[in-house]
Amino acid sequence: MRDSAIKGAPEIITPSAGDTSLPEPVMLGNGVPVYMAGNGTVDLLRIEFVFPAGQVMEEVHLAASTASAMLTEGTIDHDATTINDLIDSTGAALTHAADKDTAGLVTVTLTRKLDDVMALACEVLFSPTFPENEFRMLTDRRLQAFLTSRQRTSVIAREAFYEALCGSASPYGRITTEDDYRSLTTGDLREFHRKHYRPENMYVTVAGSEPWKALPVLERHFSGNGTGKWKKPPLPSPILDTTEPGKVFRDVPNSVQSTVRMGWKGITRNHPDYQALQVATMILGGYFGSRLMRSIREEKGYTYGIGAVAGAFHGIGYITIMTDVANAYRDETLDEIRKEVEKLRTGEVSNEEMALVRNHMMGELARLFDGPFSVADAIRGIIDYEAGADYYTRFADTVKTITPARIMEIFNKYFNPDEAFGIIAGSR
Amino acid sequence: MFILVSLAYFAFMIGFERHKLANGLKVIVHRDEGTPMVTTNILYDAGSRDEDPEATGFAHLFEHLMFEGTQDIPLFDVPVMMAGGENNAFTNNDLTNYYITLPANNLETAFWLESDRMRGLDLAEERLANQKSVVTEEFRQRYINQPYGDLLLLLRPLAYRVHPYRWPAIGMDISHIEKADSISARRFYDRFYTPSNAILSVAGNVDPDVVFRLAEKWFGAVPPGDRPERKLPVEPGQTERRELTVHRPVPAPHLIMAFHMGSRESRDFYILDLLTDILAGCDSARFPDILVRKKELFSEADIYLSGEADPGLVIFSGRLRDGIDVRKAEEAVRSEFERLTAERVTAAELDKARNRYESHRLMSYISASNKAFSLAYHEVLGDAEGINREHEQYMSVTAEEIASTAGFTFRSGNCSVIYYLPEKR
Repeated sequence: MRDSAIKGAPEIITPSAGDTSLPEPVMLGNGVPVYMAGNGTVDLLRIEFVFPAGQVMEEVHLAASTASAMLTEGTIDHDATTINDLIDSTGAALTHAADKDTAGLVTVTLTRKLDDVMALACEVLFSPTFPENEFRMLTDRRLQAFLTSRQRTSVIAREAFYEALCGSASPYGRITTEDDYRSLTTGDLREFHRKHYRPENMYVTVAGSEPWKALPVLERHFSGNGTGKWKKPPLPSPILDTTEPGKVFRDVPNSVQSTVRMGWKGITRNHPDYQALQVATMILGGYFGSRLMRSIREEKGYTYGIGAVAGAFHGIGYITIMTDVANAYRDETLDEIRKEVEKLRTGEVSNEEMALVRNHMMGELARLFDGPFSVADAIRGIIDYEAGADYYTRFADTVKTITPARIMEIFNKYFNPDEAFGIIAGSR
Repeated sequence: MFILVSLAYFAFMIGFERHKLANGLKVIVHRDEGTPMVTTNILYDAGSRDEDPEATGFAHLFEHLMFEGTQDIPLFDVPVMMAGGENNAFTNNDLTNYYITLPANNLETAFWLESDRMRGLDLAEERLANQKSVVTEEFRQRYINQPYGDLLLLLRPLAYRVHPYRWPAIGMDISHIEKADSISARRFYDRFYTPSNAILSVAGNVDPDVVFRLAEKWFGAVPPGDRPERKLPVEPGQTERRELTVHRPVPAPHLIMAFHMGSRESRDFYILDLLTDILAGCDSARFPDILVRKKELFSEADIYLSGEADPGLVIFSGRLRDGIDVRKAEEAVRSEFERLTAERVTAAELDKARNRYESHRLMSYISASNKAFSLAYHEVLGDAEGINREHEQYMSVTAEEIASTAGFTFRSGNCSVIYYLPEKR
């Protein structure tokens, strides 16, 4: 590397990813698997409960996110005020959220408060009542936040992108409207909860300095729920429309910047090209000195930032490039992105650039496994998407051995300009 | 119970060693053997409060220039990435902070990079021109192209009349950024980017003696510079309520009420930090419970401290429900403030806020990079040991102190109000 050859510069030791193996789960009496990541000196435990209860399982739009948001709004034993008070008195943080594919509850607690916090976690997960009055207030607040988000070009562009990619009938491409908020009922939530928040669907991660301390406590609070063996339920295969690539424009009146997105259909996490695609996307727009950052931020000054990501939901992958630019530059930005992609389809990256990205990604992998909380996140990524226990080991191997020729092959396979979706959201 | 709490307290002292180089650079090391990484954090004692009122946003623009390379290292990021590291920086009203986190066996690379850009920078006109345009887009992306994005841009000049906190770190106006030239960039660099105006803090899997030796090797020969004197105008006490009404294309009205308070090191800070937690720190706190749920006036109601080193602000920020009159909503907030002096916060509320503080503190110590920054931050306030004294400050706050501080702080004459209303349809 030219720079490390500078006179007097310290020698750089090639980073390694370290131990990327994942722990085997321990089963509770009722078969719920518990994955433990232990290390560190701070006397805290982070315990996460995960269910396949994301948007993809919805029969009624918004049921997944609203059911998740309502978990602490009342249970068989306590009303919302009491529950919140009980949680907050312990000093614990308790957050619940639903995403496209899963929903869960994360608790972070001082180890000495563990018993109280687990009792509450069990209560909100398995006996929420979805009371009418709290539901009405929550829906009003969520609707207001939704209306505010309609003025964000980034939100409109993201929505238009997934609609274009997955189709409006797919749970990943469906557009939310005001009516969805108005027609949702507490009955929908109870139904969704009954079907999808089940002990036999759940797994648990425990991260902290002494995670095994949580086992007897989990056993005490959770093993009374459900019987039989944990079984990951089959997710419905997402309905995907056949969508046509092309350009989409969405008008967001009064905006002084436009959000520009370009993207392609990608691949799922268990696809043999997935790791190589990660490396290719990194080169294009994954770091500060990436091709896109150098061209569109550093040379043109069109934007504060531009990035590229390859990811996957259940059953469908995506590749997306996104940036916010001045309205005057949005078409030029799309052209520049095309040019940068074309360069990578027609020419190999240099050995220097390859080495740079290789080392950078090894460093990222090492940081991904630095500390128990990070390891717990890595575990989730693998279980939720059936990526395989050796996913990160294969990832590290790919990063270590991938060649410029293989990168070019990936760009030719997955970044075809005729198959690209281009989205602009901004004022007309 | 008492014994348990005390043990927890002593167990979580952050140990560190300190050393000062002859050129004035302060070096702090915290050893954490639980991570394979190390964070090298450099804090420069220069923020937007140190800017010329006619050239605001400069400290932040300068932060961008620090990544634009030097004669010897034209691409700053390349060696960081080769070493498996990540780096970033931020600028606020008080300071500018840079960090590199990398595998501990590549620590020296971070020292090489940071000492190089402390010694010299390539301030070519074209690099400056480009970063001016990047920062202009950042300004638009964060503050203009977001619903409610300009709220804090409006608040600062309303609440402050003379102190430089009257402009935000991004700058008072885009035109200031457009005017920046390389001569003033050079002047800013020479004045503030010196060893005597910096703190180097290292946290991770490292031996302090090795770090001190490396600090001497890489930073020892950087010329000291004169530590710049800071003579900022003192904001006179506010005596009359200030009010600003604006109309914007947003769906719901928003209410801001800001009150002057003490400095980061004053007793005020700890009292008000716990008080704002009691008011809005969690779902069961008073504002979410009363203003959002029971009275249904707001869809969100928050209160927080701006947290600057010099006397700062306590800021109430609430988004109104549909059809609620903003004055009626303000009245309800005000009556919550009055209740704080009429009756004491309960022991349970105070206990809850303390528990939450303790969890947050421990949570932040999970990350070595947080510890590195916190140590540097306390050092720039006066003493890195402050990191271990805060616990006692929080634990000793009483209900009586809260009542008297609330009474003094939430006076009508000490308040700046913004009515941020939807445009008439």
